[in-house]
Amino acid sequence: MVFRFPHSFVINVVADDRPGIVAAVSNAIEQLGGNIDACSQTVLAGYFTLIMIASFPEPLPPAVIAERIREADTSGRGYDVVVRPTLAPEQFVPRPECDRFVITAFGKDQPGIVRRFSQYLAGKDINIVDLYGDHSGDEFVLIGQLEIPKFWDIRMLQADLEQMGQELGFTVKLQHENIFVATNQLRLYGSPPGQSGHASHRRDFIDD
Amino acid sequence: MLRTDEILSTIEMLHAEHLDVRAVTLALNVEDCAAPSVDLLCRKLRNKILSRASRLVEVCDRVGAKYGIPVINKRIAISPVATLLAGHGQNAAIQVAKTLDTVASEIGVDFVGGFTALVHKGITPADAVVIQSLPEVLSQTQRVCASVNVASRHAGINMDAVHLMGHTILKIAQATADRHGFGCAKLVVFANIPEDNPFMAGAYMGPGEPEAAVNIGVSGPGVVCSALKRRIAMDKNLTLGDLAEEIKITSFRVTRVGELIGREVAAELGVAFGIVDLSLAPTPTVGDSVGEILKTLGISKIGAPGSTAAIAMLTDAVKKGGLFASSSVGGLSGAFIPVCEDAALAEAAGAGHLVLEKLEAMTAVCSVGLDMILLPGDTPPETIAALIADEMAIGVINDKTTACRLIPVPGAKAGDWVHFGGLFGAAPVMEVRNAGASMQFVHFGGRIPAPLQSLKN
Repeated sequence: MVFRFPHSFVINVVADDRPGIVAAVSNAIEQLGGNIDACSQTVLAGYFTLIMIASFPEPLPPAVIAERIREADTSGRGYDVVVRPTLAPEQFVPRPECDRFVITAFGKDQPGIVRRFSQYLAGKDINIVDLYGDHSGDEFVLIGQLEIPKFWDIRMLQADLEQMGQELGFTVKLQHENIFVATNQLRLYGSPPGQSGHASHRRDFIDD
Repeated sequence: MLRTDEILSTIEMLHAEHLDVRAVTLALNVEDCAAPSVDLLCRKLRNKILSRASRLVEVCDRVGAKYGIPVINKRIAISPVATLLAGHGQNAAIQVAKTLDTVASEIGVDFVGGFTALVHKGITPADAVVIQSLPEVLSQTQRVCASVNVASRHAGINMDAVHLMGHTILKIAQATADRHGFGCAKLVVFANIPEDNPFMAGAYMGPGEPEAAVNIGVSGPGVVCSALKRRIAMDKNLTLGDLAEEIKITSFRVTRVGELIGREVAAELGVAFGIVDLSLAPTPTVGDSVGEILKTLGISKIGAPGSTAAIAMLTDAVKKGGLFASSSVGGLSGAFIPVCEDAALAEAAGAGHLVLEKLEAMTAVCSVGLDMILLPGDTPPETIAALIADEMAIGVINDKTTACRLIPVPGAKAGDWVHFGGLFGAAPVMEVRNAGASMQFVHFGGRIPAPLQSLKN
């Protein structure tokens, strides 16, 4: 991760989706003399969420940044803003060496699906780096991109997850991400062996 | 980060349409196993295969599980056994075959290929031993597969060898008469035999290959068929060009699966990665059929006019998709039309839509040849040889691999259905028109000279 200025923050905005949110937030950051170093947004069921890394030349209290962003909204509908200072690389929870896998689960929707799977993964120190869940026809589809510590035997995890899927009436598959890269993209492999997304994130901090 | 639609489309291909890796074939050079005593030869052969291949099945299963793709068949291909048998006799050939059969069973592979003789220009005494031992070898072993190359672009067609194979095939059928001549299903007669083919029964390790290599056969007629049906359902104004494009894209994706698995298996075994062979190889399972693809392309009765053009388009699109996906495409890489192993083709043959002559025409533009064709048990050996000669001529003149896997079923007449079961399926015995009318041509023998390579109109 590369920061333009020395004082960096992570900014999160949640709102009902409408045109002008990114414009308002970025305007407030510019007014404070800041730079947007990275950003990602998504819209789900009409709701908007934005995560942004922004850096400033002078130290600023997070509450001041949040307030200025709130004030920038011109629609009158408002949005929720959370601002935190970014952590130094060594402040992140250390992660073991991981491989990237994708879990897919299909079945009839019922309360507790995401909880059951995510609790199992959490218990194995497996990190979810991307999660998607939605209805597709009569089925609920859950797709998680995971960082799995290399010390696990994948076939044991697969057996556990398939068993859990059977109990819930779900078809569950756990597959290495490279099969999806190879069949959809022009390259054969995703991240090089031994380098997970999270690890590369942190290495970039160190580079900086 | 992967996109959700990418993940979903791959999941559909793998799990709803049952894409699998059809064959991981470990090719092994065994020339260093030659020995003056057949016992020593067999011991060396057994030790070499055990030391190189004992982890093959375990590694394939582990890598397959990691990516969620089953590896259906694990196999071994060795350098031509005729080389090993130089200076030995027929008893030695049978002992070697039995050793191969036993060791294949011990390490859990379903076939071992390479009981092979290359006789396109002439037959050495060792080649003759291999060919003469075939009736015993193929009737007394379960897992040994044989191939004989009788023609090549550079040598032409060895008609003496072709004639010999006509007789040999009948003898193999008679030696396995209790199984409807099934021994013949484990023998392929080739023109321009590929040196790196992972598919059985024709896999062997050719000259110029490394000490050991992993060759991968991916298949997926079901996946191609589903992709075409989906595309046709979405868009009513498609042209054949659009459908060829769809086949190409699907082939790209299927080939990538093979390359990913193959490279990892090879790395784990510590051997070279050879090639991916992207061939649409059908199985008797409904939907896993090249015939179904032809029907989806609008040929309602397979064998009708248009069938040759349709399969030419299919084969070409498959090759193009595969070649873009991998720089290591080899083997046969096309569309197979083994009548017995493809439910739709067998049905068309049974209904009289698909005849031997039309199949032969189709093989001029696809892989691999007259494959798994059942013939009447009383077909004269010269006629079997002449059928082989025709198919070899297509290969030699067009500079491509062609092959014959012909099964004269003892006691059967044209129209009788024969069930082999499992991967080998069921089919009707096909009518051979003008049987016996090629006698003089075959009896001339000698060699049909190599064709010219220019003025190809």
